[in-house]
Amino acid sequence: MLYIKCPYCGLRSQNEFAYGGDATIKRPNLNQEVSNTEWDNFVYLRKSPRGRHLEFWHHISGCRQWIKVDRDTATHEIFNTYKANEEV
Amino acid sequence: MQKYSVFSLIKNAFSNHKNWDVAWKDPSPKSEYDVIIIGGGGHGLATAYYLAKEHNITNVAIIEKGWIGGGNVGRNTTIIRSNYMHDENGLFSEFGMDLWRKMSQDLNYNVMFSPRGIINLAHSDAQMNAYSRRGNSMRLNGIDAVLLNREEIKKIIPMADFSENVRFPIFGGLMQPSAGTARHDAVAWGYARQADSMGVDIIQNCEVIGFDVSNGQIKGIRTSKGNIKAKKIGLCVAGSTNILAEKLNMTLPIETHLLQACVSEPIKPILDNVVTFGAGHFYCSQSDKGEMVMGGDLDGYNSYSQRGNLPTLQHVLTEGIAMFPFLSKLKMLRTWGGIMDMSMDGSPIIDKTHIKGLYLNCGWCYGGFKATPASGWTFAHTIAQDRVHKLNAGYSLNRFSTGHLIDEKGLGTKTWIS
Amino acid sequence: MSQNYRLENVGLINREKKISFKFNKKKYYGYEGDTLASALIANGVHLVGRSFKYHRPRGFFGAGVDEPYAIVQLYRNNETDPNVRATEQELFEGLEAESVNCWPNVNFDIGAINNFLRMFFPAGFYYKTFMWPRSFWYKIYEPIIRKAAGFGKASIKHDKERYEHKYEYCDILVTGSGPSGLASAYAAAKNGAKVIIAEEKSRYGGSLLTSDVNIGNQSGLQWAEKIITELKTMPNVIVKNRSQVFGYYDHNMLVMSERVSDHLPNTEKYTPKQRLWYIRAKEVVISSGSIERPLVFGNNDTPGVMLSSAAKDYIKLYGVLPGKKPIIFTNNDSGYETAIAFEKNGIDPIVLDTRRNPKSAIITEAQNLNINIKFSYVVVAAKGYKKVRSADIAEISDDKKTLGKIENITCDCICVSGFWTPTIHLASQSGNKTVFKKEIDAFIPSKPKQNETTVGSAKGIFTLKETLNDAFENGFNLSNKITNKNIRQSAPSVVEKITSSHDKFWCVPLPKGKNYKRFLDFQNDVAVSDIELALREGFRSIEHVKRYTTLGMATDQGKTSNLNGLQLVSEVEKKVVPQVGHTTFRPPYTPVTIGAIVGREIGKHSKPTRKSPMHSWHEKNNAVFVDAGVWLRPRYYKQGNESLFQASKREAKNVRQNVGLCDVTTLGKIDVKGPDSAEFLNRVYTNAWLKLPIGKARYGVMLREDGIVMDDGTTTRISENHYHMTTTTAQAANVLSHLEYYLQIVWPELNVNVVSSTEQWAGAAIAGPKSRKLLEKLFPDKDVSNEGLPFMGYTEGNFFGCNARIFRISFSGELAYEVNVESNNGYFMWEKIMEVGKEFNIQPYGTEALSTLRIEMGHVAGSELDGRTIPFDNSLEGLVSKKKDFIGKRSLEKTAYTAPDRQKLVGVVPLDKKTSIPEGSYLVKDANAKLPNPKLGHVSASCWSVEYDNPFSLAILKDGKNMIGKKLFALSPLKNKKIPVKIVSSHYVDPEGKRVRS
Repeated sequence: MLYIKCPYCGLRSQNEFAYGGDATIKRPNLNQEVSNTEWDNFVYLRKSPRGRHLEFWHHISGCRQWIKVDRDTATHEIFNTYKANEEV
Repeated sequence: MQKYSVFSLIKNAFSNHKNWDVAWKDPSPKSEYDVIIIGGGGHGLATAYYLAKEHNITNVAIIEKGWIGGGNVGRNTTIIRSNYMHDENGLFSEFGMDLWRKMSQDLNYNVMFSPRGIINLAHSDAQMNAYSRRGNSMRLNGIDAVLLNREEIKKIIPMADFSENVRFPIFGGLMQPSAGTARHDAVAWGYARQADSMGVDIIQNCEVIGFDVSNGQIKGIRTSKGNIKAKKIGLCVAGSTNILAEKLNMTLPIETHLLQACVSEPIKPILDNVVTFGAGHFYCSQSDKGEMVMGGDLDGYNSYSQRGNLPTLQHVLTEGIAMFPFLSKLKMLRTWGGIMDMSMDGSPIIDKTHIKGLYLNCGWCYGGFKATPASGWTFAHTIAQDRVHKLNAGYSLNRFSTGHLIDEKGLGTKTWIS
Repeated sequence: MSQNYRLENVGLINREKKISFKFNKKKYYGYEGDTLASALIANGVHLVGRSFKYHRPRGFFGAGVDEPYAIVQLYRNNETDPNVRATEQELFEGLEAESVNCWPNVNFDIGAINNFLRMFFPAGFYYKTFMWPRSFWYKIYEPIIRKAAGFGKASIKHDKERYEHKYEYCDILVTGSGPSGLASAYAAAKNGAKVIIAEEKSRYGGSLLTSDVNIGNQSGLQWAEKIITELKTMPNVIVKNRSQVFGYYDHNMLVMSERVSDHLPNTEKYTPKQRLWYIRAKEVVISSGSIERPLVFGNNDTPGVMLSSAAKDYIKLYGVLPGKKPIIFTNNDSGYETAIAFEKNGIDPIVLDTRRNPKSAIITEAQNLNINIKFSYVVVAAKGYKKVRSADIAEISDDKKTLGKIENITCDCICVSGFWTPTIHLASQSGNKTVFKKEIDAFIPSKPKQNETTVGSAKGIFTLKETLNDAFENGFNLSNKITNKNIRQSAPSVVEKITSSHDKFWCVPLPKGKNYKRFLDFQNDVAVSDIELALREGFRSIEHVKRYTTLGMATDQGKTSNLNGLQLVSEVEKKVVPQVGHTTFRPPYTPVTIGAIVGREIGKHSKPTRKSPMHSWHEKNNAVFVDAGVWLRPRYYKQGNESLFQASKREAKNVRQNVGLCDVTTLGKIDVKGPDSAEFLNRVYTNAWLKLPIGKARYGVMLREDGIVMDDGTTTRISENHYHMTTTTAQAANVLSHLEYYLQIVWPELNVNVVSSTEQWAGAAIAGPKSRKLLEKLFPDKDVSNEGLPFMGYTEGNFFGCNARIFRISFSGELAYEVNVESNNGYFMWEKIMEVGKEFNIQPYGTEALSTLRIEMGHVAGSELDGRTIPFDNSLEGLVSKKKDFIGKRSLEKTAYTAPDRQKLVGVVPLDKKTSIPEGSYLVKDANAKLPNPKLGHVSASCWSVEYDNPFSLAILKDGKNMIGKKLFALSPLKNKKIPVKIVSSHYVDPEGKRVRS
């Protein structure tokens, strides 16, 4: 079971969190011209790398903050965690 | 090739089984092939077999990084069914059911296909209605399905929880009597043996390092055993699709996730059917060895690791006991994990790509095993004819742009929620 | 029966306490401290079961967790457990056990016919046959195979035992209480670390229990007792026996199963049968020891053949002789310890040592005891069927290829020792890439992957002195890292015999003309010839070999067979063992009871149950409940002998004619606060929100980014910066996460906070033409007229002393209100409304009537918003703003979503106005078309319209907007229905929406 360091609460077991997927995908701004391709890339395409993956987790049974986790998808090693709006 | 039968078995017994041939050879790669299939799993092996058998294309190599059948074809819970709501899935899978029924004889290899029936339990009238929608769709597609009430279910699986002390009582269920199970390893080995006998080279322990593409046309691959040229290349590497796609500068509507399964210690026969729990995600059948074969949810975060964690199994087995209380006394013997191509609508992709001569077969989520023959058959057709067959026309890559999605669960792009 | 094989005055059993038990219905006696296996051996019982495939007789091979075949059906406390290892099951008064996998009984087993036909059943034979005729596999062959397979029987009774979970955090977890475990735990604990030490057996000490060594001027046993006694007194140490750490998961989470009551006749009240520990350890010391390897020879599965270390355990721990004419067959010095143990208890063993001329202290000691030792000798084959009667032995050449003249000697047991295999499972599970150590012919851990340190024989150290020094050092260093303390314990002095090296030999060649089965995997009947066949047929990777032959896939998971299998593969393939590699070790180390993994979340508690504050009122008033997610909601309130259909019709009619009351507490409620709330809602919902006045509610639809409808509900502006959002019951949690996602990640610049208030409010919907009259009585000092509180209006009031929120919103399509009070006043509110409403003929209504009301109004709900539909499909396109952007808007431009014949919500009425259309039916043009019959749409919801007294359904139909008035067929093949229908508007009742505004 993963041990995730919530930047607000400290180390907590994985079962307090919900997964939130790839954190590198940027939603196109509102009211902005977006091509079909750009939009579909945002909604559907995922790099899903083997290795380091920046991803969202939601501390759903805790402080309810969304956080970013830098984790290896092959070994599950966690290198670092960040607040949602922290630049990585 | 030696023919397998009870007579050959008896004959060989008298020479202490010393005269059996290899099931498949272990050749070095040639410098060029008409078609290379990357991935020696069930789908890759089946594709090669149908290329040879249906299209007479035998100058084919299967390139496998490890050993054939070592991926999901050997890591699944062996369930075979076509109980889908969407026409694309239903018609494709039912075509596959027909291939399953004939497979042992077709391959001269006993893949032990057993139409033991699959039952999806329902725990509310609303769920019965949702199952009716799926079951009616199946029936209108010519697929067998029956709706069973609580009493009918009780007759078939009396060991399910029909007591008062139950959180989600069983209301009834949807059954596909012709669904069943097969021996997973045998499927890979049976296809491999026949493909090999028709001239396909099965090349194991050969890792693909890169692709040669020029002017939008595929030319060949670079591997740990050297460069190999090919006119056409089919990608068939569930779980590793994104790794190879990256080498092709492609990004796909796929995430890679881990699904665990487990078996109990063997017990005397108690369950003949495949049964799924409706108030969660748990499914269970009993193998010919007597083990209860169980599975359920994804581990729930992107993973290429074939190691899972216990909380997921705990959650899955909680639902297991909720469905079959007798499981409580059994012991969990073995657990394992497989990595899944989770596509953004839960349905697969079998299509051409923007690179000429490169074909894609991926996105099987947790439904890959049952699709093995139909996937191989349609992929072989797509490669041989350079156009999709009507059976896999719906499994196009551009459906994500057009909106013709095939979402059986209605969960959208959150692939980790099962 | 008397215990003919029991020694006097030897062993750690309690002879004061005699215990009676039954095996195969026959009564025996043993002592407290026995295992079922030791007690049976004491009574001369050696035949316990039958093997998986050939049904060959099976006895005891080990004395613990590695036992491959002594598996029984256990009866305890009126319950039965299948597949219990007799070598692990402690004896208790009244224990009953039976042999498994045999019929009619273990002595005479019909299945043994397989043994005579075994030449036709090599590895994988089933892949080559049973293919003709096609239908016979499932109908004839497979049922026979299934019946013959499996071991124990599962009881289908509910398990009434209790299983618990415990979470624990520690500095250092030590997995095993042998010398290395004790030493590292002691060193770490003394240095202030919080330590958990786990021992899988009942007794602590591991090899020290039976080895002839001296530590600090005490026997090994005494030293172990001293250390464990001290550890137990230390407040920073948890000492657990009968506890096995079976899984090493990510981030140093380990899981241990504690067999709390399995050794007792009954589980005491309020204690569990087993307890599962989730332990998050800062450091893990793997002191899991090693398991002896068998030597492989002809018929080496015959009862009476056992591991030499097991024989030693039976003698020294239990005072039981495994035989009275033993042969010790060894390739190393360990066998001599067993020989000496026999000799010292008055039994003359014969030692066959595969080595030519080994020299060591223990060999000398054996020679001094006049033990008969034959060097360069092997057992060629065991003789005897249900028990070893004699052995064919022979001298073997130095190259181990040629056998000398075969002699037959009488014996009743053969104790084998093929050297030791470190137990590397936990290290390997942790991700440690193990390496092959040539000197010991086995794998050991290499660089740790997580915070794990392997000590003692688990890493291939086989001398006590080195083990203790290393373990003390590691215990100190690891604790020092955590506690920063420097209290160091020095390792005690050790006296032990120095051993000579083992012989790299493990499999006896077949003598000419003989075709003995030489078994590797005893439970699954995998013999040397099977592995050879697999390799011959091209199954060359170790994973292929494993899968083709089933080697190591039995319930002992290959603890005694895997390495020998590897040796064989490497020999035939002419590779070295590390090139062949071992198969992956995965948890669990030994099988774990599923009940223990699940814990207390069983039966009614398998998922939480949520109830509204009015639940007990519903119960008292004959509500029949329905599961709505984890909520329980009244489906209808039964009067007399009413059916669901009758009751829901009555309730719905009463809403249309008078007034009804519905518990809507389960709807999700979210407080949205902050100056940017309006802007936020404007982005979340498809319609416009910037101009909603205070005191007004609005219906909204929200999408996922892929354009699919996610949820709908009303949101009310309570004050300038405060909105009250409602969601559907099913989506409440998802919507909250969704909002938090956008606020925290996508638009952190918006000054808005959201919080769930679902549990803060009890909600009651008051619906029907008389609802205003009722409301006037409930809030006499409020103006609730159509002008005072118009449709979609909101106000606050005093409900008999409680704060109340009053919303004029309607799901039923009637004039309706929703009153919310704080949850603890919910029951009071409900009762009061019912009381005051009596004069207006108020009746409570459940979800079924609610459904009827919304369907005939054409309101969509979960069956339409099924995660696959866009607003247009649900006729909600009027709510999709063209002027502003919102979540998912861009996706609505997809060609499929803008197609002119896009599916759309319609109403469906059967032409005969009588036949109800089952939900899940499909609409088609031709009821009798050949399959696959093209589907035009599906029926999503059906009801009996109380307004028109005929069936009415909603459907999502291709080109729905142009289909109104057309005639189609609704087909439900599952229910054998073909119903001619007419497509009508989805707004079946009050299409102009006059009532809600009246």
